Amino acid sequence: MSQKKLTESELLRYTIDFREAHFRLAYSYTKNVEDAWDIVQESILKALSAVKRGMVPEHLNSWFYRILVNASLDHLKKHKRYVAFELDDTSPLLEFQDVHSDLDLHHALDRIPTEIRMIVTLRYFEDFKISEIADILSLNENTVKTRLYRGLNLLRIELEEI
Amino acid sequence: MQSRDQEKLEALKSNYHEIPYPVDLKSRIEAIYQKQKQKKAHVNLIRIGLSTAAVLTLFTIGVNTNQSFAAAMTKLPIIGPIVSVISFKFDEIDTDLVHANVEAPVITGLENKTLEAALNQKYYEESKALYEAFVSEMGEIENLGGHAGIDSGFEIKTDNDLLISIARYVVNTAASSSTTMTYETVDKEFGLLLTLPSLFVDDTYIDIISAYLIDVMKETMKNDSSKVYWVLKEDFAPFESIKPNQNFYISDQNKLMISFDKYEVAPGYMGIVEFEIPTDIIKTLLVSDRYIK
Repeated sequence: MSQKKLTESELLRYTIDFREAHFRLAYSYTKNVEDAWDIVQESILKALSAVKRGMVPEHLNSWFYRILVNASLDHLKKHKRYVAFELDDTSPLLEFQDVHSDLDLHHALDRIPTEIRMIVTLRYFEDFKISEIADILSLNENTVKTRLYRGLNLLRIELEEI
Repeated sequence: MQSRDQEKLEALKSNYHEIPYPVDLKSRIEAIYQKQKQKKAHVNLIRIGLSTAAVLTLFTIGVNTNQSFAAAMTKLPIIGPIVSVISFKFDEIDTDLVHANVEAPVITGLENKTLEAALNQKYYEESKALYEAFVSEMGEIENLGGHAGIDSGFEIKTDNDLLISIARYVVNTAASSSTTMTYETVDKEFGLLLTLPSLFVDDTYIDIISAYLIDVMKETMKNDSSKVYWVLKEDFAPFESIKPNQNFYISDQNKLMISFDKYEVAPGYMGIVEFEIPTDIIKTLLVSDRYIK
């Protein structure tokens, strides 16, 4: 909740400290090192130009992740790997066999719609809170929860609490 | 089942964390910030360049003190009233690690000799500063074992009886490349350097052109999913307005062309982005139809 303007050196420190997490996220979209780097670089340039305009982000981390996610989606659009999925529960888009091996499991993750996979990734692999994910993706918390349940469902994973 | 499901998630998580990182990720990130600092220095230089008085003073000094430039100027062919542009090339550098290829345009044949000299001097000084800044850092880049390069040159966008439009580019190559453009459009007959505000009766052109561009960007994205402009409200810092002195030139077909640098309104892969502005929407705002029809 700070009202302080973000400085270039703060941004530098943050992007260095979190470089691997940022890179991982971009890589999870692109599956390619150089493309992932393009996305990270572009996100830093956007953040830098915002800093120069006197940006006061409420939460640096969520704010940067929002830029990063948008840059990743832009990238997917360019490569036309991005397919809009219907997100209602009746769509028969993915019917998995029971997930037996780890390999099947990883395949299953890759086949989940991007919007859902992103939420699973942020929640379980990067340990973001539901409220933070809602902030990053500009969604309300209930939508995040619904998509998270759907993601786990598609992975044939049941948890008492998400 | 709970614990097996937890295990599945753990397996996915550790798989997610096992990805190949570039070994030089940290230095690549630091290079981005470094490059931004240099860019700032470059922008300042252009601002100085744009003050005509300053340019004219520099011109006198430049010709007297820089032998090679003075020599290049005297070797220009006499072409008479025909305006043409030749190039002044700085020594090329090309090693395994670094390369520099810098050319400055030299305009000849303008009747307005003051303008011609001022522009040429500005072109020369800016290219020289670019070249020298690169050369002074070259040793350091080589010591660090990095790759870097600079390419700067120009392109004649339009050359007809009335106008000449010159676009100059600077491409910085480090981990990836950035490109910046600057444009000058000169009325050959009157010897005038055109600015965007000078074409219009008042500054309403800013809003009219901006609104048009926002529509076109949205429409283009709708029809072609490979194109992305940062113009939607959910975009971070969406494009809202052109700058009063936005990059522009006038095409051979007498159309106003608005240009944006890489990363200005779109992701890097879109590169430099140009738009033709339909004359219909700005007709009533133009000072005259001399240039834009």
